[in-house]
Amino acid sequence: MISLPVIGDTPADSRQKLWRSRPHLDQDPSLLEQVSEEFIPGASTAPTGSNRRHFMQLLGASMAMAGLAACRRPVETIMPFSDRPEELIPGVPLHYATAMNFRGTARPLLAKSYDGRPVKVEGNPDHPNASGSSGVFEQASLLQLYDPDRSKTILRTGSPVNWEDFLSLCQRFQTRNRRVAVLATPDSSTTRARLQAQIESQFPDTRWIDYRSEGDDVETLGIQMAYGQPLQPVYDFANADVIVSLDADLLGPHAKNGTLNTSSFAQGRRLNGAQDQMSRLYVAESTYTVTGTMADHRRRMRSDAISDMASQIATALGVYSGASPDSFASGIARDLQTTNGRCVIVAGETQPAEVHALCALMNHALGAVGTAITLLDTGASTQLPQSQTLPALVEEMQAGQIDLLLMLGVNPVYDAPPELNFQEVMGRVSDTVHVGMHVDETARASTWHIPLTHYLESWGDGRSWDGTLTPIQPLIAPLYGDTRSEIEILSALSSGQYTRGYDLVRETWASVLGEEDLETAWRRVLHDGYLQDTGYSSVTAEPAFDAQLPESDSSLELVVRLDPTVLDGSFANNAWCQELPDPITKIVWDNVAVLSPKTAEDHGLVCEYSKGRYYADVVTLTVNGHEVELPIWILPGHADDTVSVTLGYGREISTTRPERDTPFWDTDDTTDIYARGTLATGVGTNVAKLRNLLAKPVSFGVQIAATGRKWTIVTTQDHGILDTEARPLIRTATMEEYQADPAFALQDEAPTPGSDVKTDFSDYPELWKNQHPAKTPAFRDSDYWQNQWGMVIDLNACTGCNACIVACQAENNIQVVGKKEVGHGRELHWLRVDRYFITEGGEDLDADPQIVMQPMPCQHCENAPCESVCPVAATVHSPDGTNQMIYNRCIGTRYCANNCPYKVRRYNFYNWSKTIPETVQMAQNPNVSIRFRGVMEKCSFCVQRIRQTQKRAGLETRPLHRDEVATACQQACPAEAITFGDLNDQESGVSQAMQNPRSYKLLAELNIKPRVSYLARVRNPNQDLEPAGSP
Amino acid sequence: MSASTDKTVTLPAEPPLVTGNLGFHDITQLVSYHTEKRPPSVWYMAIAVSSTLLCVLLLMIAYLVWNGIGVWGNNNPVGWGWPIVNFVFWVGIGHAGTLISAILFLFRQQWRTAINRSAEAMTLFAVICALLFPTIHVGRIWVIYWTLPLPNQMEMWPQFKSPLLWDVFAVSVYFMVSLIFWYVGLVPDLATLRDRARNAFRRRILGFFSLGWTGANRHWRNYEKTYLLLAALATPLVLSVHSVVSFDFAVSIIPGWHTTIFPPYFVAGAIFSGFAMVMTLLILARKIYGIQNIITMDHLEKMAIIILLTGSMVGFAYITEFFIAWYSQVEYEQYAFLNRATGPYAWAYWTMMSCNLLFPQFFWIKRLRRSIPFLFLTSIVVNIGMWFERFVITVTSLHRDFLPSSWDYFNPTIVDVLTLVGSFGLFMALFLIFLRYLPMVAIAEVKMVLPESDPHYYDQHESGSETN
Repeated sequence: MISLPVIGDTPADSRQKLWRSRPHLDQDPSLLEQVSEEFIPGASTAPTGSNRRHFMQLLGASMAMAGLAACRRPVETIMPFSDRPEELIPGVPLHYATAMNFRGTARPLLAKSYDGRPVKVEGNPDHPNASGSSGVFEQASLLQLYDPDRSKTILRTGSPVNWEDFLSLCQRFQTRNRRVAVLATPDSSTTRARLQAQIESQFPDTRWIDYRSEGDDVETLGIQMAYGQPLQPVYDFANADVIVSLDADLLGPHAKNGTLNTSSFAQGRRLNGAQDQMSRLYVAESTYTVTGTMADHRRRMRSDAISDMASQIATALGVYSGASPDSFASGIARDLQTTNGRCVIVAGETQPAEVHALCALMNHALGAVGTAITLLDTGASTQLPQSQTLPALVEEMQAGQIDLLLMLGVNPVYDAPPELNFQEVMGRVSDTVHVGMHVDETARASTWHIPLTHYLESWGDGRSWDGTLTPIQPLIAPLYGDTRSEIEILSALSSGQYTRGYDLVRETWASVLGEEDLETAWRRVLHDGYLQDTGYSSVTAEPAFDAQLPESDSSLELVVRLDPTVLDGSFANNAWCQELPDPITKIVWDNVAVLSPKTAEDHGLVCEYSKGRYYADVVTLTVNGHEVELPIWILPGHADDTVSVTLGYGREISTTRPERDTPFWDTDDTTDIYARGTLATGVGTNVAKLRNLLAKPVSFGVQIAATGRKWTIVTTQDHGILDTEARPLIRTATMEEYQADPAFALQDEAPTPGSDVKTDFSDYPELWKNQHPAKTPAFRDSDYWQNQWGMVIDLNACTGCNACIVACQAENNIQVVGKKEVGHGRELHWLRVDRYFITEGGEDLDADPQIVMQPMPCQHCENAPCESVCPVAATVHSPDGTNQMIYNRCIGTRYCANNCPYKVRRYNFYNWSKTIPETVQMAQNPNVSIRFRGVMEKCSFCVQRIRQTQKRAGLETRPLHRDEVATACQQACPAEAITFGDLNDQESGVSQAMQNPRSYKLLAELNIKPRVSYLARVRNPNQDLEPAGSP
Repeated sequence: MSASTDKTVTLPAEPPLVTGNLGFHDITQLVSYHTEKRPPSVWYMAIAVSSTLLCVLLLMIAYLVWNGIGVWGNNNPVGWGWPIVNFVFWVGIGHAGTLISAILFLFRQQWRTAINRSAEAMTLFAVICALLFPTIHVGRIWVIYWTLPLPNQMEMWPQFKSPLLWDVFAVSVYFMVSLIFWYVGLVPDLATLRDRARNAFRRRILGFFSLGWTGANRHWRNYEKTYLLLAALATPLVLSVHSVVSFDFAVSIIPGWHTTIFPPYFVAGAIFSGFAMVMTLLILARKIYGIQNIITMDHLEKMAIIILLTGSMVGFAYITEFFIAWYSQVEYEQYAFLNRATGPYAWAYWTMMSCNLLFPQFFWIKRLRRSIPFLFLTSIVVNIGMWFERFVITVTSLHRDFLPSSWDYFNPTIVDVLTLVGSFGLFMALFLIFLRYLPMVAIAEVKMVLPESDPHYYDQHESGSETN
């Protein structure tokens, strides 16, 4: 039975107090729990979990919501299973279109629900502004819903109160002379905009700030500086021949529009034949990003030198007179000029608005606007930078001019610049209301805390990147009764009454859809997940640039970025995100100060590798008198004299969950990541403190001093430079080499004795020749024989963004093992993304190494070495050509893992699935077995998806459609780097992709016949900058 | 026997196998006495230590079964850590006994009689220790019986292609045959003990196990025929069991494991380590129990020569592996061996090389071959070296194989260490119990090699003195 903490909360009573004993008066929680029950414990309830009634209530409520999401008005009655909700077949999932707000944009999603329980989210493939793919954070957002540390009760100065108490506060505010300030996460919701307008009209002096952890929205400010209005640029990289990124991590998982950027970028990089062309990417950046790994030319430089680079390129293009261009800048400029506008120059979030404005100017001058860039008018008014509005608000708070501060989903106590003394100033405001999913730093400093709903349990709406109106519909009733959505709270504040989110959203949409036949249109919108033709209109405007580019500095600089795995800390309590390796450093469960090898050497800092772990020097970083201690990390390819750090760590989240304590002989309390408090607490250090009043991402004059201490850093991958000559794992060529020989990858096969290069291994004798399973009648006569599954992974498209890893984790119930166990090499990710540094010529780490990513799932070898060594036949071949793990049969000898040349098998060293909290149990996919300890597991090619699709086809008495089955990694991949399908069908995507001349199989010389092929990586260097033949 | 009975042929003068002018009764007395009197105080101390270690082993197994394989240091590339190292180590030690009793028996090496009983006992106990490790190293020990071909309603058989399954058969058959062989050899001696027993209880038990042995001519005839047949049966097993154990590695595709030299190399290594262990135990036992006249310096020297021979064979195999890796021109293979000698486990590799290849070379010097302290030291060093050999093979090959992205390091935990130490407790406890209750030297067989047991001994000696 699943018992939820929903019901256990005890509302306090403000009336006359009756008490029985001292502990009762002191509110001993265990006693209170007893008191609130009518009968003694155990008398009326089942011994474990919640009782049947509560469970049925919840189930019914979920059903009701599910029914409601299926285009009906909510009927909040309990529904017994005997009266089945329409369309609900137990065990058959339902998909609902919804959306998630990500950094101010709605990302359209399709959520999968089993029996009223959302278990997976995917991109909405029908949405006009989505590719059906998704990123790390969409995938991981599912676990946010089931986070066991979510805040469950409304708190006033730390004690539980009722929603009515908050309503009475709102009612007290129903006069015009109160001063309200709102700090809210950026959100494109039209309902919220409507409520914002209501509040602003009701409280005329309202201060409303869209609060961003990372500071100013430089992209918008830059566009605004150039065009005079905050236009929204849409980059179509598929339409660009030359792309220049100036410290812009366009393809990063945390980029605002990373998913769509990756999608269009990958389109421009596809090579199917010798005649195909691909785009060229120039990257100038200070740290190594996933965008940098895709670069054809990458120049590492300090963040502040990049404005200089922008100025040089602009000078070379003749649109600006700045520094005289060096060969790199003029090379880029010449290349840009040959493209006839099929080019894009993008500046990154670390760059000042001036650089963004200059890029806008260059794009315009090159004629890119209209070809590769579309400018959209969002209708927003001119934006003031947060670095002005926030200090102004703090000043007003300090002066006592603010009566109520409402903080919607933001955490300024954690991430506001320290000069603002935000926590202290909050004390000057009589009512501070924090709305958030956790009792976090800000919640504890606020007088009020209201738990926030997750997007999968509340109504809302938003606009996708191109402005298309997108509804957010819930799939489940709120797990905790006291949670409210942002719009419900805003509405309560403006009206003093509680209006359900559904009614608020309906009201907004009624005005959009029109009263006529509203119900049909509304159902249509909910079904589709968007409203057709509601995108922002594109505009043409003339940019102007008269600003001064900032002077570059020469002192050590510090760059603060969002983290690619936990973002600004909002995903810090998410186990999947914490255990997700950083795309470049592969570090888990930590944040570090990244340095180049030279800078580390200059400061005498080391990060030693010893016995599977790294022991890094802990340094004190001092900026403007603020100190933060961080372990260092040395990254080849990082710019010199600059330190990169990421936000989102060092969180302090409170939880009411009891700690797990087991006797000394039981390791459950050390292996359970949830055993000791919240996940985020104590992981890494908060670097937001290093930013000054302006919260600029780049600071200068950083002092770095070793503390003499060491910190253990755990990565999922050993450090290593790959010598491509000796181990042809990653095969690369330049565009020129590719055009000369498109099948160059096969020339790189490992040397085999007796021949120079062998590309066909079919004459190799097979082990167990006559007994090979594929030759037995049991296989040949099986219906499954009709399909032979295979996969192709395009290394030219893969950016290593990690979306596939999280998608796989969500789909296949992969447990999280924690920092210590990852350090032991026991992580369970079925799919890993191998990162290799490639240097050509010499072992000099300071030379810019190239980074290449290689996703590594199980290769489903036809002559699988794992199968022949299992003593109990627990891993066997299926008639449809996949290598299967039979968990029930496995006794855990680990021989298969030893004999796997790709080392993709994962072992349950402990009983990790036993200790997962009850809410997290709800996140598990019911179609995938939970693995017990002592059992091997590995990628199954998402066999549950194959079987489900076959079952559906069977019920519809039809054969499988071509490419109907998609694996979780393939579905998520924004670059569409993964192709999966039936090799028996010559027309299928995967068969076509295997025909690609770049196709090669890894370790084919072992005669194991892997079913996964890789498409070799091609670089497209500029002949001007890199004449052919030079390394 | 043969037609040529040329009396002029003289065999090279063999030194007497039993020294000290012992008669038949002296030998009986010397050996049986120890099973009948109170054991020496050293024995009590030893059994106290051994059983403490045995308890540690049991606690470690309980801790392991309760929590999971994670309590060991095994990780993702290194799926097999110390337990498999210990398994191969103990199986190797379990080789000397049967080799001494079966192969040397067939080759008529009479010096074996002094040491075969305790060597065989040691074999059995080492194989018990060895069987323990693959059993506990599986993730789900409660279904370990799935590795046995038991009929079941699912008609699900073990997977006969797996070398691990071959292991199950090879080691258990070896254990069974060794046990029977050992027991058959014990029967006449048990009867001797029975006849000497003072109390009825002891007599009854020994009477049961001596199978009604009376020393009749027919008994001796059957006994010798059985013993010969069993020796012939056990001989191929000596070679097969460690060959099969080596298949666990050789049949895989991992560089450093996938090597055809493994079967002979493992057998040589097993004999090497087995003799070292016999030597360790007997040097102590002969001293404590005062049987230096039965297990003489000549015996020890012969064992030292076998150690020198097998140690050099093993060393030759190490070097051959390197040569083949270079000769194959396969990058992965070359790296695997280079990594052994220079990688993070180089310390283990060079420990192995010096203990196994270099140290036994001192046995070329006769003085050292006959020096008890040096023999004892070498026997310990060789066993350390052989444990490291298995460690090097198992761990260094796994920790860095094909894809550098999955390379990692293996660190043993305290549980690993205590389990190995505890297995010595099991081994020693069993051996001490054997010393306490059973004749540690094959009384009947030693008597057979006395000159007096030659039916014509007294003809020559007595008549000769009379006629001269």
